[in-house]
Amino acid sequence: MLATAAGILAVSGIAGGLAALLVLAERIIRNYGECEILINGERTLTAQGGQSLLETLSQQKIFIPSACGGRGTCAYCKLKVLDGGGPLLPTEEPYLDAAERAAGVRLSCQVKVRGPLRIEIPEHLFRVREFAATCASIRDLTHDIKEFRFALRDPARIEYTPGQYLQLFTPSYDGNEEVYRAYSMSSDPADREHVELVIRLVPGGICTTWCFEHLQEGDHVTFNGPYGDFRLSKTEAPMIFVAGGSGMAPIKCILHQMQNEGIAREATYFFGANRADELFYLDEMAAFEKALPGFRFVPVVAHPEAGGAWQGETGLVTDAARRNLPDLAGHEGYLCGSPGLIQAAVRVLTDLGMPEDKIYYDTFG
Amino acid sequence: MKRDPERAKLEAVLRASKLVAGGFLGNDDRPLDEILADDAAALERAGRTRGEVAARMREIGARAREGIETWVPAGGAVEARMIEARGRIPCPWDHPGRYFKTIVEARRTDTGDAARWSDLSVHLIEAHGFFQGRGSPFRLEPRRLVRLLF
Repeated sequence: MLATAAGILAVSGIAGGLAALLVLAERIIRNYGECEILINGERTLTAQGGQSLLETLSQQKIFIPSACGGRGTCAYCKLKVLDGGGPLLPTEEPYLDAAERAAGVRLSCQVKVRGPLRIEIPEHLFRVREFAATCASIRDLTHDIKEFRFALRDPARIEYTPGQYLQLFTPSYDGNEEVYRAYSMSSDPADREHVELVIRLVPGGICTTWCFEHLQEGDHVTFNGPYGDFRLSKTEAPMIFVAGGSGMAPIKCILHQMQNEGIAREATYFFGANRADELFYLDEMAAFEKALPGFRFVPVVAHPEAGGAWQGETGLVTDAARRNLPDLAGHEGYLCGSPGLIQAAVRVLTDLGMPEDKIYYDTFG
Repeated sequence: MKRDPERAKLEAVLRASKLVAGGFLGNDDRPLDEILADDAAALERAGRTRGEVAARMREIGARAREGIETWVPAGGAVEARMIEARGRIPCPWDHPGRYFKTIVEARRTDTGDAARWSDLSVHLIEAHGFFQGRGSPFRLEPRRLVRLLF
């Protein structure tokens, strides 16, 4: 009897000891304590370890571009991790070329903060802020493109370079995860209290479905930004703009800038649509033509209706550019749209003599 | 019958709206294995293989891409256009690849049959025999898809 009780006690004791050991191990293993992160060799921040580098920086109000919610699928969150990042993960490998790997570039969403880190962050990202705003208006531009205008609440003003984008936060709905998605600003940059986005509905797209089916005027939203280095150069070179669909957004923003700053550079804008009723901002473009003597807007319709009223350019937007443009040596190109549009436009512009390093683009890829 | 926990986990991922709005299974309440079996049988009855279907979808996609988001002839009576969005999407079967968010819309000029698919849809059909659930934004009925493609 006594021996049985002693046996039970012994087994219970061992089990209890093992359980305590597991709890202790769990705490020791998972508790990384406070970790120091040295940024650009000059600034150190201290943060609780255990989260991804992307999350840790975000909590410290340092916003790194990311469109996939940290799932390692967008590859926007690349940073140089010079020490302490651990080995490169299989989830990162597809997104990093040999030069990036050699330079210590990592996907910050895949790097866990487990100890001291030494990293480099591009200076312009320190200017990124998180904004709270109210959806002021929603306007149909085509059957699948809408304009969303947001009034800023906190902070109440934004400063950005025309051509840049922001990341709109999509809350969880119908069981999907929270995500951020990137959209170029189309607004007049002189209006620092509002931002305007041009968004095309993507079937099955988590953010665009939310914008089109759930977001209402008066709703509160959050976004962070500005991001990106697509912008007007400081030269006097004549310019060719080529865009399609929601690629209109950053070009429109740059046209506002040209008007605001009295930039008189010669500029021709080829904008492509499938049908005439898929063209939009025609009144705004006509207003820019009046305000900017060197600016010409060339809408191009791929499939005008037979017997319809369309009198303008037809076919692919890149073919129309090839037909209408002279030798482009000395010109600069500004492109915004799908990878297919960018590739085709780069081919046309370089064929016409434009140096490739004078072609700037904002691709969706 | 006890279900394979990995299979149950996969089905949960496919039913959730984590990767696409509405989820990969839409409002289809059949078990995943039943959906896969039904579609495999339908494809066999239509006289095509997964590989043949995926190859033709890729061919149409390649032609559509040249149209820069406009409708272009894509072989036979098919015309198509490709819309491209930012970012990439992973395979829910947890393959290492990531698929560009390209959407091909295709239609036949003779019958009016139409369908749309993404790069990921082509992979899901070819590698997993998965045509997605009824009610999903990218559900493809095998018999109708074959009639459209060939």
